[in-house]
Amino acid sequence: MTTIATDAPKSRIDLTRPILWLFAAFMIVLIVLPLSWLMVFAFTDKARHPTLQNFVTLFTDPAFLDPLLTTAIIATTSAVACCLVAAPIGWLVSRTDMPGRQIIRALVTASFVTPPFLGAVAWELLAAPNSGMLNQLYRYLTGAEDPLFDIYSLTGLIFVISCYTFPFVFVLVANALDNMPGELEDASAILGGKAWTTARRVTIPLALPALVAGALIAFLQAMTLFGSPAILALPAGFHTMTTKIWSLFQYPPKLELAAAAAVPLLLLTILLLQGQKFLLGRRGYSVLGGKYGPPRPIEMGPWRWAALAFCLLVLLNPVFLPYFALLNAAFSPNATTLVTPSTATLHNVVFVFTELSSTQLALKNTVILGASTATIGTVLALVAAYVTTRRVIASHRMLGFLATAPVAVPGIVLGVGLFLSYTRPPFVLYGTLWILLLAFLTINLPSAYQQLQAAFATIHPELEDASRILGASRLQSLRQITAPLLRTGVIATWCFIFIGVMRELSAAIVLFTSQTKVLSVLIYDLNESGDLAAISVLGIAMLVITFAVVLAVNRIPMFGGGAGAKLRNS
Amino acid sequence: MASVDLRGLTKRFGSLAVVDNVSLKIDHGQLVCLLGPSGCGKTTTLRLIAGFLEPSDGEIHVGERLVSSRARTLPPEQRNMSMIFQSYALWPHMTVTENIVYGLRLRKLDRDTIAKKLAAILVTAKLEALAQRYPGELSGGQQQRVALARALIVEPETLLLDEPLSNLDANLREEMRFEIRRLHDEYRYTTVYVTHDQSEAMTTADLIAVMNGGRIDQLGTPEDIYARPESEFVARFIGASNVIKGTARDANHVAFAGATLKVAGAPLTAGQDAVVAIRQHDIGLSTQAPASPENAIKAVVTRQVYLGAVRDYMVEVADGTSLRAITPTETSVQKGSEVWLTLPPERCRALSR
Repeated sequence: MTTIATDAPKSRIDLTRPILWLFAAFMIVLIVLPLSWLMVFAFTDKARHPTLQNFVTLFTDPAFLDPLLTTAIIATTSAVACCLVAAPIGWLVSRTDMPGRQIIRALVTASFVTPPFLGAVAWELLAAPNSGMLNQLYRYLTGAEDPLFDIYSLTGLIFVISCYTFPFVFVLVANALDNMPGELEDASAILGGKAWTTARRVTIPLALPALVAGALIAFLQAMTLFGSPAILALPAGFHTMTTKIWSLFQYPPKLELAAAAAVPLLLLTILLLQGQKFLLGRRGYSVLGGKYGPPRPIEMGPWRWAALAFCLLVLLNPVFLPYFALLNAAFSPNATTLVTPSTATLHNVVFVFTELSSTQLALKNTVILGASTATIGTVLALVAAYVTTRRVIASHRMLGFLATAPVAVPGIVLGVGLFLSYTRPPFVLYGTLWILLLAFLTINLPSAYQQLQAAFATIHPELEDASRILGASRLQSLRQITAPLLRTGVIATWCFIFIGVMRELSAAIVLFTSQTKVLSVLIYDLNESGDLAAISVLGIAMLVITFAVVLAVNRIPMFGGGAGAKLRNS
Repeated sequence: MASVDLRGLTKRFGSLAVVDNVSLKIDHGQLVCLLGPSGCGKTTTLRLIAGFLEPSDGEIHVGERLVSSRARTLPPEQRNMSMIFQSYALWPHMTVTENIVYGLRLRKLDRDTIAKKLAAILVTAKLEALAQRYPGELSGGQQQRVALARALIVEPETLLLDEPLSNLDANLREEMRFEIRRLHDEYRYTTVYVTHDQSEAMTTADLIAVMNGGRIDQLGTPEDIYARPESEFVARFIGASNVIKGTARDANHVAFAGATLKVAGAPLTAGQDAVVAIRQHDIGLSTQAPASPENAIKAVVTRQVYLGAVRDYMVEVADGTSLRAITPTETSVQKGSEVWLTLPPERCRALSR
């Protein structure tokens, strides 16, 4: 070695700061602009004079008060129902020796990824008063005239919403119980607490914040959902807030009222999220992992089979029955007739993919939007997560706040805001795919950001420092050190957004035009025209695409397949 | 060449000054240890030198270049420094070789030069057999050597080490101390070494800067710091000292526990409070009154422990002060006995602070 020092690499201009400011500006446009227009419309009349008349109408006219009340009933009962179902299943899966725990987890995940509107359609197939397969079976078995179930009812709607909302509660409760140190229960046992005493005095109180937080999330979901109420409540002749907002967009449009109706949803969402944060944020009380041993599973003896039966019975509703109904309808000549080998037909598949004119367009739009939203969204989330975890600029907190803020904006509220913002100069984006891109980006950004922030947190900042001190600029360090280490997290986030785009309906329903239809909107349209078989085919196609995307990005080496192996020791 | 010169360096986080007006000149080829307890600002000082942090006040010069000031901070990549991190910061997705040659690739050296330098450093760091492994497949000591090789191969002007040995087990730590010193002697980089372990600092450093509360408390050679501490903090932090509080009689006599001690070190002012440090090893202990009454104090043994090589005594003098004395094992006195302590005048250091 020579003693003459090698020159440090030549100086480069550090582009990071301008890029970051640009990003912050973009985030502000993405969120602040639509919400500002929403507020302007909510508090003005047609001539844009300030007024509170919209809110007076909203809270006095029965046409608005009834949906408000209905929504409150639906949200509350769904939240309670979700907790009643999810808490025991979460406990059984996490804390007991019930057989098939992994399978139950997988099945709950399956109901998690099922788009709620698809579930609603499936339940139409199963429990429509006349043609529903369960009702047919009931009549056949009992000879009764009246149907057993009527899915087009408040109860039916609450049932279907709960089917696809309870996973939110399940995930929170199961996580809390998974992370609860077994020592806490052991400590109670060694002091003389019997199993039930321990559960009552230690386990349940510790899991309670997670359960309540889950209930709030379930409430939120039920309140802001559009697909299920539109499919089940409208035929039954009643409205929820989301369907009411949507109906205000129908001719003649009443945009001011739509904006005003969106405001309570927005405020309530913000309030509930604050509540949830408060509940889960009190670290001293919530259950946190640590260097504790794994919890001891509770032995249930013969009861474990009963427990499994209970779980499977519950999962019949969101998974087994609906998927059976969809598959049946896809290959049957008549959507609600049980298919047999002799009657099985590919007619529906052929019809959807060759004869139905809008399929091709909707598929194309969905793939374009899915891929571009996923790509742009991942990049945005990556930048935001980098800045906030590494505190690159002084205002990193602000950026983190902006990136998570959309979580408080329900899809339909955002749809209204975007519609109001981009149907006027200088940005006339309505009628293009761009407006949908903006909507999907905004909706998916918070969870993408949170995922990537967690990924960043696992990478020691000294790894980047080491690269800087050896002569790499910040961008070089990012590319050569951080990016490869983050690859798995990035890929997961990309998939997550892609799937999120495919199942998004509530913002798309306000923003689509005939040329910018997406798969979810097409399914909704087909439901209006009663073409349930075609929906089944499309729904199955959607799920196939979902799984294909997940598999593809996990397997293809170029996209990071095998990256896990390389990182095995990190 | 590349000296490192800190001038009035200050770093505040909010209103808290973590590094408070630190000035330190490190000549080319010198190895300086920043030594201090956790939270004393030593790592922050190092990160300021590296350019990961911008100073709130003051300047850093490397050779003739001003690299950090309040107005402008040269980014780390343009400082021609290397650093070894506490976590080693080896990139888990790169092999040992890829890790080591990373800096050379950034400098756009040609393939042959890189190969030659790599071969040389692999031998020096005893890593030939491990070149194709991933960091996760190496032991702590091996990871440490990869980190060293990666930092040294770019032949930096300045080498920074941030508690590089704190994650190693005791035996390995001792070995690596000498290794670091050997490599330093071989290449003579200007080196700044941060540690909280005084024996690590003693073995490796030319100069030790003892830091406390964001300031340099004392700067000196290992011998200065050990034998001639200037402050109570240094006396307590560096090795095992008793700190005695008495009253000065004149410039070099202190009244303590009914006796008068002759002391060395900072000149005292009569009548003022005086603080005197004496090492545990330097205190003589016997059951007989010493021949000369100078610097002899009566005490009672309150605890006695046999440690194999030495005995460890805790004794209490007339005014209730407890002193610790380490003696040869032959000096065996039971708990509760009266003893005479002798405190050699040249070992009693009057402290200025």
